[in-house]
Amino acid sequence: MRKAMFYVPLAAFLALSLFLLSGLFSDPRDHGSALIEKPLPDFSLPDLQQPTRLVTAADLKGEVTLLNVWGLWCPTCNAELGFLTELRQQGIRIVGLYYVQPVDASFGDTFDINTLRVEVQDKLAEQGDPYLLNIVDEKRSLIFDLGVTGAPETFLIDRNGVIRHHHVGDINPQNWPKIQQLYQQLQQGGSDAP
Amino acid sequence: MIAEVGHLALCFALALSLILALFPLYGSYKGAAGPVLLARPAALLLFLLTAVSFAALCYAFWINDFTVAYVANNSNSLLPWYYRLTAVWGSHEGSMLLWVLMLSGWTAAVALLSNSLPLILQGRILGVLGFVNVGFYAFVLLMSNPFERTLPFFPVDGRDLNPLLQDFGMIIHPPLLYMGYVGFAVSFAFAIAALLGGRFDANWARWARPWTLAAWLFLTLGIMLGSWWAYYELGWGGWWFWDPVENASLMPWLVGTALIHSLAVTEKRGTFKSWTVLLAIAAFSLSLLGAFLVRSGVLVSVHAFATDPSRGLFLLAFLLVVVGGSLLLYGLRMHAVRSQARYQLFSREVLLWGNNVFLLTATLVVFLGTLYPLFHKELGLGSISIGEPFFNSIFQYLAIPFALLLGLAPWVRWKQQQLQPLLKPLSLWLVAALVLALGVLSMYQTPAANVALLGLLLGAWVTMATIGEIQQKAAQLGGVPGLFKLQASHWGMVLGHLGFAMLVVGIAMTKTFSVEKDVRMKIGDSVELNGYTFLLSEVYALNGPNYGGQAAELEVFQHGEKVTHLHAEKRFYPVTRAVMTEAAVHARLSRDLYVALGEELSGPSWALRVYVKPYVRWIWLGAILMALGGLVSLSDKRYRRKAKTEIGEQGAQAHA
Repeated sequence: MRKAMFYVPLAAFLALSLFLLSGLFSDPRDHGSALIEKPLPDFSLPDLQQPTRLVTAADLKGEVTLLNVWGLWCPTCNAELGFLTELRQQGIRIVGLYYVQPVDASFGDTFDINTLRVEVQDKLAEQGDPYLLNIVDEKRSLIFDLGVTGAPETFLIDRNGVIRHHHVGDINPQNWPKIQQLYQQLQQGGSDAP
Repeated sequence: MIAEVGHLALCFALALSLILALFPLYGSYKGAAGPVLLARPAALLLFLLTAVSFAALCYAFWINDFTVAYVANNSNSLLPWYYRLTAVWGSHEGSMLLWVLMLSGWTAAVALLSNSLPLILQGRILGVLGFVNVGFYAFVLLMSNPFERTLPFFPVDGRDLNPLLQDFGMIIHPPLLYMGYVGFAVSFAFAIAALLGGRFDANWARWARPWTLAAWLFLTLGIMLGSWWAYYELGWGGWWFWDPVENASLMPWLVGTALIHSLAVTEKRGTFKSWTVLLAIAAFSLSLLGAFLVRSGVLVSVHAFATDPSRGLFLLAFLLVVVGGSLLLYGLRMHAVRSQARYQLFSREVLLWGNNVFLLTATLVVFLGTLYPLFHKELGLGSISIGEPFFNSIFQYLAIPFALLLGLAPWVRWKQQQLQPLLKPLSLWLVAALVLALGVLSMYQTPAANVALLGLLLGAWVTMATIGEIQQKAAQLGGVPGLFKLQASHWGMVLGHLGFAMLVVGIAMTKTFSVEKDVRMKIGDSVELNGYTFLLSEVYALNGPNYGGQAAELEVFQHGEKVTHLHAEKRFYPVTRAVMTEAAVHARLSRDLYVALGEELSGPSWALRVYVKPYVRWIWLGAILMALGGLVSLSDKRYRRKAKTEIGEQGAQAHA
């Protein structure tokens, strides 16, 4: 009996390891894919070129689209512009979602869409312009709804406006083939593609 | 090129740790001195190679080498140089490299300082450490190589270090904490070596004690720094959150504290052997478990590194081998060891046993509270979470008997103690404690605060009993000069216990008397809190090297006189787009004034959180005092006295 007592710690530990093992294969967060297979959240935001025109989720439907979250303040986004421009030349439809940083009105900082347009145009003229249009999310509401964690991020949206893939980080020649495969599937298979 | 040198050095280190794991153990069983003598140079070289590897990663950060993936993910060209260097351990891969650097450092230290140990025991300790090293080097190289390149397409600039970690507290918190975690590997190696040899004498406990103390000391400081950092960096004035990762550091600390006390009994009285060995195994196992919990993504925590099941699987397998193996060995060997010593019910042995019971109960509470959500989910009962109220209420009840015992134990003699002679002096000190606690409380004029009274009472009791015990010792040793004859480890105990008293008082007072206010303020507005007037005088834009944001200046008055000037910041880090609070803190022994700047509201006005937190400093000062106690104990000459040759040889035969 006394002898058996000394094996109690071992038995307790082995029981614990069983739990740890099964715990390893279930994700405690389970939210990474929350938006996949869901329609794009509703929004109504101005177009950078024509601020009077409001872009809505319906405008993105009809064709397979890459929705690219970016900003001038983000160096990786700027580095990504070149490759995205090449993609546009190959016929990929890319819509920009411009991430406006919070500004501080009390210090004379104001958000001015006209100033931003000039700056963006200068940048795109220099680096290449991959965008069909740029949605300006001044209050970061769509960005919040999409669960964006950083820029650049890209969402692959099918013809029905359903989010099919969420890519975090820049798109570059190494990771593009995987996204491209999905893109082509969606394009060929039409709206019924998985 | 430099990164490859680091990678190569790490590969050599793995090979060397294999040699260290196999040869000395083989030699110790074959009775061959040659393989055992290999252990020391191998351990030293292991450390040297790891240091080269670590330096290589530091260099990659220093020169902004974004072709190294780890650098690109955790640094940025705008990051100041000192944060670039500390970014080395800012994420999983680099922190594992720091971990093995420290593990090999402890191994080398054991190799250097184990001259007085019998050769066979020395070989076995280093062999066990070598074995632990193998596991971690393999983990770093196979699962989390920090030297992986991003070539040929490397990013233009890095993703920046997590802004939470861009802080002085974070520069030293992880290294201290890891020193503690990894340090318990040495106690573990001592325990396993003794299990292999089947002999646990006073000498063995005396060798193991300073190593355990050193690891415990680092862990104490590491936890304290983490708590202090959370207090001023997270901006909600809390100092402990019962987060799974905090709990993962608290568990080895509690067990380590029990181990220190249990080792004292084993050394002085030759008993509690099975306890001591189990605690030594448990302290290190809980450190490993902590590493597993943090790095496998099993639990959700603010601290958790990226989830990766394959890493978790590796660590779990390692855990199974190390912990399962050692517990099996424990089962096979330990039942044969019996203690001869006899003691009465009222003796120091029994009180220290009580100490172990309470500390282990506390560990169990933390353990269950941390892992219960996992058990619940894996049993298919759905997700739940266990929060502060559970831990706080149980710890509150555990603290009462624990503190009462703590004050009493040093008075009580080994073996047996008559109650009669202690009654008079003890009751005197108890009255003194009552007077002190009530006196302090009366200054706060709210006698309704029962928790604070209880905390003060316990703190005052521990303090008074500790001082009284010193006074008694002075009387026995012939007045104050006699106190110099007391061993350093005794003074260490006194400091440690006073530190605990301070901690208890700090917690009770802060919990009870803290006041906070969420206010909306314009420039020129002021707010009253606990007799202090906070006047918002200025808010302006910040312009840091890699962040922007706002800073607020406040003047604080009490009774119409200016107390201090506070500077609170809300930083915005554009690269990671994170908002960080830098709270303004004015610290005094009796209270902290704490202001966190919140969102800007229309007006223009700002949301501010203002706190007055009495005695919150005492929590960290108490922890520092405990660590200081550990340091003083370490300086005890007994631990450095070279074992007499005949004892050494006798020991050597016994361990063979």
